[in-house]
Amino acid sequence: MQSSPAIERLVSSLKRLPGIGEKSATRLAFYLLGAPEEMVAELAESVGRLKQDTCLCERCFNLTDVSPCAICRNPERNAALLCVVEEPADLAAVEKSGSFRGHYFVLGGALSPIDGVGPDDLRVADLEARVHGGGIEEVILATNPNTEGDATAHFLADRLRKTGAGVAITRIAYGMPLGGDLEYADHVTVGRSLENRRQMD
Amino acid sequence: MTRLQTEALLLRSVEFSESDRIVHLLTPERGRLTAIAKGARRSIKRFGGSLDLFNHLRVQIDKRRGMARLEGAVLIDPFLSLRAVPGRFALASYLVELLDRVAPEAGAPSDLRRVFAFALAALRALSEADVTPGLRALLELQTLDVLGLRPELGRCVHCGRAPVGPGPVAFHVADGGVLCGACASRCDAPLLRVHLGTLRALEQGIEFGTARLSRISWSPQALAEALELVSRFQRFHMGIQLRSEPFLDQVVGSPPESGRPPA
Ligand SMILES: [Zn+2]
Ligand SMILES: [Zn+2]
Repeated sequence: MQSSPAIERLVSSLKRLPGIGEKSATRLAFYLLGAPEEMVAELAESVGRLKQDTCLCERCFNLTDVSPCAICRNPERNAALLCVVEEPADLAAVEKSGSFRGHYFVLGGALSPIDGVGPDDLRVADLEARVHGGGIEEVILATNPNTEGDATAHFLADRLRKTGAGVAITRIAYGMPLGGDLEYADHVTVGRSLENRRQMD
Repeated sequence: MTRLQTEALLLRSVEFSESDRIVHLLTPERGRLTAIAKGARRSIKRFGGSLDLFNHLRVQIDKRRGMARLEGAVLIDPFLSLRAVPGRFALASYLVELLDRVAPEAGAPSDLRRVFAFALAALRALSEADVTPGLRALLELQTLDVLGLRPELGRCVHCGRAPVGPGPVAFHVADGGVLCGACASRCDAPLLRVHLGTLRALEQGIEFGTARLSRISWSPQALAEALELVSRFQRFHMGIQLRSEPFLDQVVGSPPESGRPPA
């Protein structure tokens, strides 16, 4: 199909987005071409401001529009509890659960030597500084329960203990997922669920 | 054969698209192979937590068209204790990266089985090991050996005579082995100086089972020589720098920097 350079340019930009191929990109471009002026302007404006208006919180390193972020500024939250997560999306997941009212620290990933990611590529030093800054009684290591996340949690626990912070260090529990089925779960998950069993209330 | 049921070690798992993963597996029958795990990122039911690094699995693979597809995976052993100690995690990552980069994709069945059996034994041994620089040097040497890269530690690589002490003898990195005194004096390539005791400990290390490696004891001098020899030999003959090396150096200890140019 013959199309204008403007359309081609938009199609090639859209194609770079995750999950968008040539076909979807072309469909979106033609849709926008026929859409109301205000809608297109609103989209262009919000894309343009995305980077400008987003920064990292200086305390927790979550994405925010003002630093410190709303969570770090909230006096109702328990500043003695610090939950360490890998990425902002993980923070959002914990926050959505509604069961945590402490503060966060976004590490920026997990140790992955095979990908060349070591402690200096994560905010390990910032985390140590934050914990040693005082006022924290418990650090909850909520990195993902996979090989890299587990290894990162152990690495951090070692580091925080060695430098003598004297705070409690805990790890999120392993167990069966809600809606899971014992028959189909792997034996390690079943084993860990039994180890982490608790008294019925 | 288009369908394959086999044991496998997971060497690497990369996100491929929103729902799929690409996994690199080491198998006893087919050596190293790459397969796509459709739906692995979305469906917890399909693969569960089985597609994690270091996992020992039983897998079904469909090789009918194009890229191999991982149809199913059942966890045998996740080697959890490799995650619990940074030194073990660092060395296991290093060995697995080495295998992922250079393990054969085809070859004699007995060779492929030997590589797989070694990899499994190495992860098992590491799971209980106190990871020291000496263990690092020996496990790396054993890995190179099983991949077909074994340095000659006993006889001169130029003339076949055994080098004699008591002082240090020469090791020719590019030619992959020791030199006797006469050949060393005629050689103008850069040479490493290594004591016979170090060479003997390394030779012993190749022959020992993986589980017994930590019994070999090292003097500080022998350890420094061994680390340098293995690291130079590996870099020269594989021609790659492993991404996991800086973390391993940081956690376990690195080969000493010497003033000599790389051989
Ligand atoms: Zn914040
Ligand atoms: Zn000679």
